[in-house]
Amino acid sequence: MSHDIFEITREPIDKLGLEKRLLTGGAGAIVTFDGVVRDNTRGRRVVSLQYEAYEPMAVKEMRRIGDEIRERWPDVERVGIIHRFGPLEISESSVVIVVTSPHRRVAFEACRYAIDRLKQTVPIWKKEIFEDGEEWVEGQAPEIVQ
Amino acid sequence: MNTDKIKINVLLFGACREVAGAGELNCDLAAPADVAGAWNEIKTRFPNLEKFGRSALFAVNEEHSQKDRPLEDGDTLAVFPPVSGG
Repeated sequence: MSHDIFEITREPIDKLGLEKRLLTGGAGAIVTFDGVVRDNTRGRRVVSLQYEAYEPMAVKEMRRIGDEIRERWPDVERVGIIHRFGPLEISESSVVIVVTSPHRRVAFEACRYAIDRLKQTVPIWKKEIFEDGEEWVEGQAPEIVQ
Repeated sequence: MNTDKIKINVLLFGACREVAGAGELNCDLAAPADVAGAWNEIKTRFPNLEKFGRSALFAVNEEHSQKDRPLEDGDTLAVFPPVSGG
């Protein structure tokens, strides 16, 4: 729907601003997923992350997730997804997903679906920067696509 | 018609971009062309990409695509490893 929000940005994500932009009178629940940069992976200390995005396609794929959510949960009021790219420090948000609905269950389910699906279909890649090197994170090979 | 050539734009992302040392290139292909043929041509130019032979994913004009997807003149083909956003 036209009031949903799908964005890719180099700037820090304004989580409260996104919630505010999506909040309507009909909403009884806002569920927000905030994905943040963790300081370790498989026992190795992570210094920072570097995200790369195929920007126009990433926005299209996010919009597609919004469409899928509306098919599965017609009660959803609003969907918002903002993914950041470029260099990110520990504890910074890489992705924020907000779903609003009249009642909580739908918002919880749809928000979880959105992040799971994003990790399968949205063309964004991350590289972990360690103290002594760097490594692209291997995504899972999908059966998903299409 | 089989002697016709098409030109496509190729975008590489993530580890594919880094291994190739290039993010964007043009590619001439004999028509009729598809993603599999283009991928072979790209790997000929950048043999290091061979290591993504099985895992590479493709998008044509910003839509996820399979290897048998036909290509037309002016198409944009993106090649990338499985996504790892979030």
